Amino acid sequence: MYSLFNPNQMAVTPFLFFTGKGGVGKTSTACATAVALADQGKKVLLVSTDPASNLQDVLEVELTNDPKSIPSVANLSACNIDPEQAAKAYKESVVGPYRGKLPEAVLATMEEQLSGACTVEIAAFDEFSHLLADEEILAQYDHVLFDTAPTGHTLRLLQLPTAWSGFLEDSTHGASCLGPLAGLEGKKALYKKAVDSLSDGDKTTLVLVARPDNSSLLEADRASFELKEIGIKNQLLIVNGLLQSHQPEDAVSVAFYERQRAAIEQTPEALKQVMAYSLPYVSYSLTGVENLRHLFSSYAIHSSEAEETGEPLDLPGLNGVIDDFSEHNTRVIFTMGKGGVGKTSVASAIAVGLSEKGHKVHLTTTDPAAHLAYTFGISDLRDNLSISSINPEVEVARYKENVIEQAGSGMTEEELAYLKEDLESPCTEEIALFQAFAKVVEKSEEEIVVIDTAPTGHTLLLLDSTEAYHKEMSRSTGDVPDSVKKLLPRLRNPKETGVVIVTLAEATPVLEASRLEQDLKRAGIEAKWWVINQSLYATDTADAVLKGRAISEKKWIHKVEGELAEKCAIIPWLEEEKIGYDQLKEFIS
Amino acid sequence: MKKVEIFDPAMCCSTGVCGPTVDPELTRIASAVYSLEKKGFAISRHNLTDDPGAFVENKKVNQVLVEKGPDALPVVLLNGEVVKIAEYPTTEELAEWFEATPSELQEKPRVRVSLNINN
Repeated sequence: MYSLFNPNQMAVTPFLFFTGKGGVGKTSTACATAVALADQGKKVLLVSTDPASNLQDVLEVELTNDPKSIPSVANLSACNIDPEQAAKAYKESVVGPYRGKLPEAVLATMEEQLSGACTVEIAAFDEFSHLLADEEILAQYDHVLFDTAPTGHTLRLLQLPTAWSGFLEDSTHGASCLGPLAGLEGKKALYKKAVDSLSDGDKTTLVLVARPDNSSLLEADRASFELKEIGIKNQLLIVNGLLQSHQPEDAVSVAFYERQRAAIEQTPEALKQVMAYSLPYVSYSLTGVENLRHLFSSYAIHSSEAEETGEPLDLPGLNGVIDDFSEHNTRVIFTMGKGGVGKTSVASAIAVGLSEKGHKVHLTTTDPAAHLAYTFGISDLRDNLSISSINPEVEVARYKENVIEQAGSGMTEEELAYLKEDLESPCTEEIALFQAFAKVVEKSEEEIVVIDTAPTGHTLLLLDSTEAYHKEMSRSTGDVPDSVKKLLPRLRNPKETGVVIVTLAEATPVLEASRLEQDLKRAGIEAKWWVINQSLYATDTADAVLKGRAISEKKWIHKVEGELAEKCAIIPWLEEEKIGYDQLKEFIS
Repeated sequence: MKKVEIFDPAMCCSTGVCGPTVDPELTRIASAVYSLEKKGFAISRHNLTDDPGAFVENKKVNQVLVEKGPDALPVVLLNGEVVKIAEYPTTEELAEWFEATPSELQEKPRVRVSLNINN
């Protein structure tokens, strides 16, 4: 197995980016690394760009945009850059000067246009470019650690040479879909420098953080590939939360241990080429500097938190969700939430449950990692349950082809090249998936449709505003398919649609899910159920390490149940992966 | 020479490929403007999101916005006068204004085929 990650024994570059999906432990890994480096006497700056950052909880210090020294760790400073705040500030800098000069309604259309995911990402990149490119920062600190790395698509956008020269030098062409970059022409040199620093292996290390589970390793593989492709080659992998030992007499403990080992064996080939380390699964929560120091210094279990006993929970299981949807004859069911929370299993179990109750059900997913055929086993379908999958790559390719076919005739090669560049924008993927969803949702007229993952709030708003815009155009020739026209009203109707937010009882997935819920609200869609998945608290494990974790879930269960969810269900951590129709039935029993 | 200015609504990109479907109207106008510009005609486009200043400075456009709101976009000006509201100029209109032929506005790549008719 992997050697334990220990920053004290490694050559470390000035910049370290920690990336990985929500809930894998990026923040605690980054903090523990920062503390270890600072304890060596290095001057360290720790920066979080996660809007749901729990950096201040971990360090137990209030943080702002400006670096602040951490009292209990000499040499360590930290700051918390909120990209949504930055995006807001950016939006205001564009719209603000025109208040009072343009009508409110006109300003509102600008604001909506600047509310997309791109703006947030570019704003985040803008914030950390300053840190990456500023010589003074490097003179002041030996290491700058970033909790959250820029995504491949932001970097690609910033690298688009034609985008910069075409758009910025001659804005009348407006060739590329640069929206939020348009106001930033003065920053071209800064961004170039930042992108250069990132791809310089002597300056930057990309730390991929993953959990020992299949979906999180697949995600790390994807990030690794994407970032390697644009030149960030100095990468290492940290498998976080590896259970070091287990109690043979405790069934949960044995299953937990074995599932982790099995997942690691199935690490994607390309990711196996990346230098890998592990960090142990610990019973204590990784907050407070002392606990962070523990992580690298000794691996003894520190079980004071595990003393408490759990109070019984009074929450329904997944069968409560299924009964509710069955009774109300909900036609479209979405499972949403961050990757790795078990959306696909929950969606599959809901589909099985509803079909058991005699409904005709269609189940579909966009998760490339979760082939439903695998979840079910080939020969395992029943008469009233059908499955399909929406492959993002296929949908995007099909969409592009359609566009070029529809719009490309009569264009010169140059014009076509312009069009193709626009099609490389991240919006394209959202729109392509959106159309695929719309097509599947249309089936709900005949059967219940269960969809694993959903279009984002941003896409929904985009559709809404564009449809409104189409209506106003007297000569609208854009041909909006019927399925798309009906989609939004259908999703907004709680009688027809039930949204299920799936989360784990941990800080990041809960906070991110609550942001997702806000996005949906903006689009006029209410989430009906929250499902807390894979809860150790809901098991009867006696394993000291796992029990410690179970206790730390309590706070998050209360938050979901008490503050966030209209209705809340909980699923215990299950000893085996549920594969096949009959096994999925166990999920709901 | 005549001068045409197009004031677009708030848009992500001027080819319109980012909407829920491609609006051929937008791709048509993007490529027509591109062709006309290349030929040296005085035509320009302003996107509300990227260039709001233009919507304030131009008194005629500003007046339309104050009276009719954002739904009045796109607004088209010919020699500084509002000629179209809430729609783009047709290819024929553009051709007429610039005294060009419609086909010149949608130039296709030309392929030369040599025929030998002597054999």
